[in-house]
Amino acid sequence: MDESENSMDKQIDDNDGTKPEKMFTLKKWNAVAMWSWDVECDICAICRVQVMDACLRCQAENKRDVMGRQDCVVVWGECNHSFHHCCMSLWVKQNNRCPLCQQEWSIQRMGK
Amino acid sequence: MSTPARRRLMRDFKRLQEDPPTGVSGAPTDNNIMIWNAVIFGPHDTPFEDGTFKLTIEFTEEYPNKPPTVRFVSKVFHPNVYADGGICLDILQNRWSPTYDVSAILTSIQSLLSDPNPNSPANSTAAQLYKENRREYEKRVKACVEQSFID
Repeated sequence: MDESENSMDKQIDDNDGTKPEKMFTLKKWNAVAMWSWDVECDICAICRVQVMDACLRCQAENKRDVMGRQDCVVVWGECNHSFHHCCMSLWVKQNNRCPLCQQEWSIQRMGK
Repeated sequence: MSTPARRRLMRDFKRLQEDPPTGVSGAPTDNNIMIWNAVIFGPHDTPFEDGTFKLTIEFTEEYPNKPPTVRFVSKVFHPNVYADGGICLDILQNRWSPTYDVSAILTSIQSLLSDPNPNSPANSTAAQLYKENRREYEKRVKACVEQSFID
């Protein structure tokens, strides 16, 4: 690599007799970092709305708690799949398995 | 009135339009989002190739917690399709998951056309021919492909 570059320079030297100018120099550079939330899935696969938003059912009924907040919470299973608690509680009544991985459903945590 | 089932179906329709799977299409009927018409094109390299098979899909207010009723309107000679067009497919019965949508249902039925399950037959003649006389099976399927152009 270096050798071939040198020989290129030489050739140019031979041609016009002047020192070759650098094509460019790096004066400054910035590192860019990316981040994202470490969540398994951010869309509720049952109602297809973002888990952080209210589920379709709650949106339709415009449900609020006493503080006036939407009380539609997210539920995570032991399998790490997340859904709206409202969507999941209806589903587990007929089949107590995760709709995505078919594992026995047990709640790991709940919240926002 | 907009119910959760209807809103979910609107999302299904949007997804079907934005990200249409090859070889299937579907849309709600003009005046009722709970009833859809769909078409599945016979998969390439199968005896169903070139067929255009029409279906109806009927949803209830329990969707997506309960599967819809899917039925072929076109005559389909297939081990897992009943004479009335009803379809014997596990994901539409006991293996249903509320994460499925119209797009998933239609692509599953499309792959059922390519890979019949002759061990749970809905049409015993088709299942028997599929297992024992593939030539005759393909002949009968091709006849229903031609029929599908007419209806």
